[in-house]
Amino acid sequence: MKYVTTIAEREFVIEILDDHHVALNGVVYVVDFESVSERTVYSLLVNNQSFEGSVYPSDEGWQVLLHGSQYVLQVEDEREKRLRASMGGELPENIDFHLRAPMPGLVVAIPISEGQAVQKGDVLIILESMKMQNELKSPRPGRISRVRVKPGDSVEHKETLLSVV
Amino acid sequence: MFNKVLIANRGEIAVRIIRACRELGMLTVAVYSEADRQALHVRLADEAYYLGPAPSRESYLRADKIIAIAEKSEAKAIHPGYGFLAERADFAQACLDAGLAFIGPKPSCIAAMGDKAVARATVAASGVPVVPGTEGEGSLSNEELLALAPKIGFPLLIKATAGGGGKGMREVEEIGEMPGLLQAARREAEASFGDGNVYLEQLIEGARHIEMQILADSHGNVIHLGERECSLQRRHQKLLEESPSPFVGDDEEFRQRMGAVAVRAAQAVDYVNAGTIEFLVDKDKNFYFLEMNTRLQVEHPVTEIVTGLDIVKEQIRIARGRHMRHTQEDIHLSGWAIECRINAEDPYNHFLPSTGRISHMILPTGPGVRLDTGVYAGFEISPYYDSLIAKLIVSGETRGEAILRMRRALEEYKIIGVRTNIPFHQRIMDSHRYMGGQYDTRFVEERFSMEAAEEGKEDLSEIAAILATLVAHQQTQRAAHIIQRGERDTSNWKWVGRWERMHR
Repeated sequence: MKYVTTIAEREFVIEILDDHHVALNGVVYVVDFESVSERTVYSLLVNNQSFEGSVYPSDEGWQVLLHGSQYVLQVEDEREKRLRASMGGELPENIDFHLRAPMPGLVVAIPISEGQAVQKGDVLIILESMKMQNELKSPRPGRISRVRVKPGDSVEHKETLLSVV
Repeated sequence: MFNKVLIANRGEIAVRIIRACRELGMLTVAVYSEADRQALHVRLADEAYYLGPAPSRESYLRADKIIAIAEKSEAKAIHPGYGFLAERADFAQACLDAGLAFIGPKPSCIAAMGDKAVARATVAASGVPVVPGTEGEGSLSNEELLALAPKIGFPLLIKATAGGGGKGMREVEEIGEMPGLLQAARREAEASFGDGNVYLEQLIEGARHIEMQILADSHGNVIHLGERECSLQRRHQKLLEESPSPFVGDDEEFRQRMGAVAVRAAQAVDYVNAGTIEFLVDKDKNFYFLEMNTRLQVEHPVTEIVTGLDIVKEQIRIARGRHMRHTQEDIHLSGWAIECRINAEDPYNHFLPSTGRISHMILPTGPGVRLDTGVYAGFEISPYYDSLIAKLIVSGETRGEAILRMRRALEEYKIIGVRTNIPFHQRIMDSHRYMGGQYDTRFVEERFSMEAAEEGKEDLSEIAAILATLVAHQQTQRAAHIIQRGERDTSNWKWVGRWERMHR
């Protein structure tokens, strides 16, 4: 099985030859790969060199933590890559942004109001969790729509708080 | 004289205090909220009592309930730890009124040092230098503060009178942004301490945050245990501490001068028990009193390692009315200690808190490693309390050895289920500025990035690519396996046999 794996613009063609051999850009490595705890931490031997890393799926791709550095990677097999190429790249910029609670907490303040125009970096909501007040900011300019919470509300993880359109 | 102690706290510090009591042969009483029934401090204590629902104001801040539990359990002393009720003079007084020993300073000391404005005025009167500001002016209105600001000069700091831990604190670059920042600081102070009063203080640029640990017994003896370097902060929250300070280093004269001033500040309020005097130190080794923490500090272990003292046990001895076991001449710093605060925060996502169940944990061990923690695999990190889950402390003969040991220990430490700031600490340990001791309180915010590649650091992109691809491949294979129902990994006859046995 052949994959194209991308890290920050760098592309690697990785072919999984069998259980113990992979080819990276044509160079064959002997690998041994074991999950050491619940599929998040993996022990990987590459030509007998030992590495241990955590691998998490995320919205941006696979996150790999290795020796204190984080790598974000896209792994696509050849079919997926062709499919994406035919779609013509990126999603449109002006798609609605839904602000979701990054953690459970308490809404302390909402310094903006329905229909208001905001700039990138403007504070949308102040959320308190673990005794810290966290400012949730707008990732892009737009207009506020559908404010679903009010100060004093407790919110769950990933609950949608408001939208920027 | 007491021999049973109630610990009015939770988390790693409750565990730390239970350990000290155990070693002294004392019985321990834990208290817990609804969220903490399975917490380590409850499991380790001799007795445990339910306090109330998870939010702290209904549990760990319920002074009345805690005192009632002390009476019921016949614990004759209360150790408050840090945070929660530790710096509440009314709580300390209520303990004394109920005939309980409070393992900490007298209520009058907490009150004097707890109001930062009063504290600054008190120590300034005894000749301790303070940062220029509006101390001792009482509570001022926004208009008065705006009028005073240009006299202090910009940049300046707005600080909460009842503050601590960086809450209710804002930096002001120029007068235009001050009204908005005043409001934000007051709101945060009101929410955190129930007191919206603030004062102004000149911002010392390139400042280091160095603090002196002191111990005082009830017989008038006061000693200092040397300094801790706490400059590595993010948004005024300490993240890493070390002792000695690389800035003080071999300058024993400087250390003793700061120590003597710290002792004088403690004597100014007739202090008893363990306390910490925080100083701001500028690049010319001028130092200014910042505040006094009238409690055990989170970072006390680094001092314990370089002095060899057990500060919590000393606290208990002092509370029992004993003489301290040491005089100033006995105290020498030897070796080096570094502490990393391991928080449930995602350093790759603006340090947002992370909650959830710790599914797996591998602890760092081996020579020179100490871990103070209140969590274990299977424990749920709730959003109700602060995000500190462990303190990883290492010692070394030299600072270099301690750094290398910390790197090794951080790499060993695996926490699965919640995101932690371990990668942040690993970055710091690899940073040339940190290694050179060249950092001040602004280092993390201004000259540090999780993304930027550190010079000379090995690039493991290829390994990461292989690892992610193998994981993705395995997942695809598994998914395919589920769909292909006919293909079992064992013979169909065996499956039928097992199925029948299951339904017998």
